[in-house]
Amino acid sequence: MKDIVIALAKGRLAELSIEVFEKIGIDCSQMKEKTRKLIFENEELGLKFIMVKATDVATYVEYGAADIGIVGSDVLIEEGRNLYEMVNLGFGKCKVAVAGPASMAGRLSGGNNIRVATKYPHIARDYFEFKKGQTIEIIKLNGSIELAPLVGLSDVIVDIVESGKTLAENGLVVLEDITDISARLVVNRVSMKMEKERILDIVSKIKAEIAARGDRA
Amino acid sequence: MKWSLHTPEGTADILCQEALLRRRTEETIAGVFGGYGYRGVETPIFEFYDVFANNAGTIAQESMFKFFDEQGRILVLRPDLTTPIARLAATKLKGEKPPYRLSYCGNAFRNERETGGAKLREFTQSGIELIGADHPLSDAEVITATVECLLAAGLENFQIDIGQVAFFKGLAAQLGLDAEQTEQLREMVDRKNSLAIEELVALCDADDALKALVVSLPSRFGGMEVVDGIDESLLGDTARSALDNLRQVYSIIRDYGMESYVSIDLGMVQSLNYYTGIIFKGFTHGVGYPVCGGGRYDTLLAEFDAPLSATGVAIGIDRVVSALMWQKKEVAVQPEITLIACDNDDRAAAYVYARTLREEGKTVQMWLDEGSRDDVKNFAKEAGIARVIWVTADGAQELD
Repeated sequence: MKDIVIALAKGRLAELSIEVFEKIGIDCSQMKEKTRKLIFENEELGLKFIMVKATDVATYVEYGAADIGIVGSDVLIEEGRNLYEMVNLGFGKCKVAVAGPASMAGRLSGGNNIRVATKYPHIARDYFEFKKGQTIEIIKLNGSIELAPLVGLSDVIVDIVESGKTLAENGLVVLEDITDISARLVVNRVSMKMEKERILDIVSKIKAEIAARGDRA
Repeated sequence: MKWSLHTPEGTADILCQEALLRRRTEETIAGVFGGYGYRGVETPIFEFYDVFANNAGTIAQESMFKFFDEQGRILVLRPDLTTPIARLAATKLKGEKPPYRLSYCGNAFRNERETGGAKLREFTQSGIELIGADHPLSDAEVITATVECLLAAGLENFQIDIGQVAFFKGLAAQLGLDAEQTEQLREMVDRKNSLAIEELVALCDADDALKALVVSLPSRFGGMEVVDGIDESLLGDTARSALDNLRQVYSIIRDYGMESYVSIDLGMVQSLNYYTGIIFKGFTHGVGYPVCGGGRYDTLLAEFDAPLSATGVAIGIDRVVSALMWQKKEVAVQPEITLIACDNDDRAAAYVYARTLREEGKTVQMWLDEGSRDDVKNFAKEAGIARVIWVTADGAQELD
């Protein structure tokens, strides 16, 4: 029997995911130990967990190197990956928003091209150019996005906003919300067909667990 | 950077072992199609951009490789072969009695944003187009031929999923969705994102049972039971006749004894502008993408002024071959080589001897050097050739 490979995003999302897998009766104890290992086997259940960078989870699943993945919906929207998006897990909640100095409020529509710093060029382009019909100049950055408007690299930023604390500490405010984000369970299109029973078994147990949490809350 | 040493992203050299396996696979598939009476045709590698820029087109213009001819017209490397064959059928076969059964094998080119793995910018497709036939028997013929091709190619454990896009289109119309909302819903169903579907249909003014049916689309894949469980009183004419059509095609496939290779997926909905009825995809272990895809496209030929219905399939040779190599099925073995050597004076006799062996179907190489029997034996040892024959005017002798 072929192992089912599950890709998890290293960090907080993996911890929350492991909690769910333990709840549905999949032993993940070796993954909770401090280790540099990237691959964990559960021979008894024929499962393999792999730990990858958050932005790479969808890639592993799309190419079929992993059958199942847990990934933030920001990555799915940004990369437009070709896979099944089966469950909204409800955790890892945040939003993608346009932020900038408060003085930019009201200057976002109309006027000349604005410069947008972001690590989500597709989400930013889709929002400004297709939804709002506004031409923008994108400056792709990989981290510390909040810095860009402060040093004059861009007018605004498009980024993940969780509590808004980082923004506030850097004198920025949310100008417009783009979309809500949460963790999603994704499945490779071929795996879903070739390993239907085993994958649907995991998916339905996770769905039930997430629904039960909703009821408890 | 020395680009002269590399191939561009998304292209690849194919080395001997794989090349042999590919050629065999192509020949096997062509043989199955030929047996069904599909006649091979060839179309140009590049065509006018206009051929692919029609309303029914599914290929984004940014994914085509473009260049210009001397009159400034836009040319593209063909991004698929179905469209050129539709053009060919519409313009060159006029007067012949349909249906036309046409087959092809050739390379297509897409300027994909990301390449690697199974995503190539140059890929080989082998397929058929059945033009001018709209009976369910024709959909079943294409699917059955596809199953036979994959079996003959040596794939084990594959599955063909069948959907019906008109069923989805009918439901979307019943919900009162406009073109943009229909496309949104299509994308959600295609991604099996039930939650987003629920949110969208909640805004519609429609029967709750109908909404529940739409929400259930992503999970309606498997055996015929996913169709049988549907309350048909909910359906409008389009959706109901689409479902009837799916049942008919499936029952033909069952009569042919092929149902074990086939399942249903009502949540398979792609390219609504292009496909008009039955669609299908093939899956197997070892590649994360479908190995083949096809379906009914009754509006494409009208783009070329010949309103004929049509259905077809394209099999991805690259994907079938990588699945075969992953499944380690029957990796093609290079034929055994016989090396012929001789003294310079005996080369006439050696050539005649080699030619005789070749005519018997053997693979024969000539030693391209002069020297003793020991020299050729040493060469053969290093080159990994087991069989060496020394030829003189009096006869041939195998060296060991």
